Amino acid sequence: MTLLLFFIISSILIVAIVLFKNKTITKIMTISFVLLHIWLTLHCWTNLNKTELGYFTFNSLGVLLLSVLSFLTIPTVYHGFIYALNDDTKKYDIYHSALIALITFMTGAYLANGMTVLWIFVEATTLAVAALIYHDRTEMALEATWKYVFICSIGIALAYLGILFLGFIYGRGDAANLSFASLINIINLANPLYLKIAFVFVLIGFSTKMGLFPMHTVTIDAHSVAPPPISALISTTLMNVGFLAIFRVYTLFASSSILPFMNNVLILSGLLSLLVAAGYMLKAKHLKRMLAYSSLENMGLVAIAVGVGGYGYYAALLLLVLHSLTKSGLFYQMGQLSRVLHTFKLDECGKYMELYPPGALVLLLGMVCILAIPPSGLFISEFMIFKGLVLKDKWFVLITTIILLCFVIYAMSTRIMHILFSNSRNESDLKVHGKVNPIESISQFVLLGIVFIMCFYQPPFFVDLINQSFALLPK
Amino acid sequence: MVNYLIVLFAVTLVYFASAERLIVYTRLVGLQGLLLCGIAIFELKEVNTANLIFIAFESLVFKAILIPYLLTRIIYRSGVTKVHHLAMPGFYSLILSIFALLISVILANSLVNSFVNTIYMTIALFTLFTGLLIIVSHKLIISHLIGFLIIENAVFLFSLAIGNKMPMMINVGILLDIFVGVLILGFFGLRLKPHTNQLTMLKD
Repeated sequence: MTLLLFFIISSILIVAIVLFKNKTITKIMTISFVLLHIWLTLHCWTNLNKTELGYFTFNSLGVLLLSVLSFLTIPTVYHGFIYALNDDTKKYDIYHSALIALITFMTGAYLANGMTVLWIFVEATTLAVAALIYHDRTEMALEATWKYVFICSIGIALAYLGILFLGFIYGRGDAANLSFASLINIINLANPLYLKIAFVFVLIGFSTKMGLFPMHTVTIDAHSVAPPPISALISTTLMNVGFLAIFRVYTLFASSSILPFMNNVLILSGLLSLLVAAGYMLKAKHLKRMLAYSSLENMGLVAIAVGVGGYGYYAALLLLVLHSLTKSGLFYQMGQLSRVLHTFKLDECGKYMELYPPGALVLLLGMVCILAIPPSGLFISEFMIFKGLVLKDKWFVLITTIILLCFVIYAMSTRIMHILFSNSRNESDLKVHGKVNPIESISQFVLLGIVFIMCFYQPPFFVDLINQSFALLPK
Repeated sequence: MVNYLIVLFAVTLVYFASAERLIVYTRLVGLQGLLLCGIAIFELKEVNTANLIFIAFESLVFKAILIPYLLTRIIYRSGVTKVHHLAMPGFYSLILSIFALLISVILANSLVNSFVNTIYMTIALFTLFTGLLIIVSHKLIISHLIGFLIIENAVFLFSLAIGNKMPMMINVGILLDIFVGVLILGFFGLRLKPHTNQLTMLKD
């Protein structure tokens, strides 16, 4: 009932925002939604593994990712208020109602216990994200939104084909919802070729959300124009939705004979993602695009980690959570950087440490965190991935990964250092620099602080939740 | 009867590979909608009447009327009538199309399953490959849209194959149709760069 109440109240809040057309009311409704979401997350924690409404189960992985979403909702809404402050009421209302819709749809996707329901919520997120990317109403925003909707639609159609292939192996009238629990019992009876095709379709389809190669372009373009708080969500919690969908199918098929095939496909996809990310980061001239390629790199590592198995499962989930915290912090900072420097173009950026020291410190610490340099918590996850690769004798993958990561580290650190300490390369574009209240950077420091603490201490409840998330997988 | 309709559907796919006028593409999309409506009516004998009427209505209104109408409007508005040099020559497309059909036959025969008709599987796979080929080998936005609509039809064909057992899957597929018809074609198709019909602004 709690979940039903959550969906009903969220819908009412969205409708109220659209109907009242008043910025203060919109603000109150949005804050109410944040509280509502935290309440739902607490409810899920206290009712782990309970099923509600028949189609939703509060299982470990769903609750883990839901908690990350709930946690990030607070700074996202806060930075959204600042970003949309000068918008007219119509744009302000559309932004916040679409944001509430997006978070609601992601919540539904995290908790769905069947492929069909999961697919419906993933499709719905595309609609909400489209409205948010188109926020600035520019020609570039239209192009990015178009690309996002088009490629996501192709991905969604392919993922749907994957789900249909699951239906082909089932072929029974009572399988209408294709729940994970009902499928896991018959997976070993299925033709492995069906399972392979279903997995490939699901992987390619949901890669549009996870941002993995070959469907990564969709999120890269979306980042160029999306408001920074929205980029923070697209690059973290929405990618987690894509991962969750792929990981659910992976877990489902893990007991069948196609496990080695899935692992190889994931490692290949991960390596290609790393390759593309490293290549494009070396030539990136747009800050947000560079961060988007960094997300591609991290998702590539997650895919490799899952493909490795063993230690890799824990490393993948830890990386996913810590990447969400770090990357969202960096994207919130991008909003402030654009207010100070009035640009995202690297050539026009410079002297940020002089102009806004707290923001510059966030960028510096964020760089350390995202590049997995100790004491970043991401170091632990990447170390575990490497350990897993060594234990499985995957030397080629290990060496290739390390070489590509070196390129990523070089590309990102030189660019961030340029922004912080160098003069702008394009002197003619010097403008009057804006001012930002340092209080606005507190949320980023908190997020990065957690990532640093996770390097030394991971709370037992957090470790348990991660371990339960892959309990069904072979050790 | 269903088999005749499916074979006719496959013929439209081969025609797609050789056609160069966008208006021909639009007519073929409409014709495919009609054929899918016929296939749904003849195939879905076990679903309840209300559901069957809904599925037939959706395929007729959306696939055969609304989507071709919106496509025609986009074509007239853009002023681009032929794919010309912005696509692979028809001869090579035709060869690739035949090759795709061959792969579909081989793949479908290796996926023999008591729940699924092999002809369905063959043509649905062929439809999927044709849609992907059009997206990859054409540069115009409108061609990409048509490629996507063909993939949509592949999804519909696949879902019809198990529709008697799982009618919910067809209804979910219809959600995708409405999503595409209204949002992609209705909103973006009519707003995007009407003169050049290409996207170039966002790149590294």
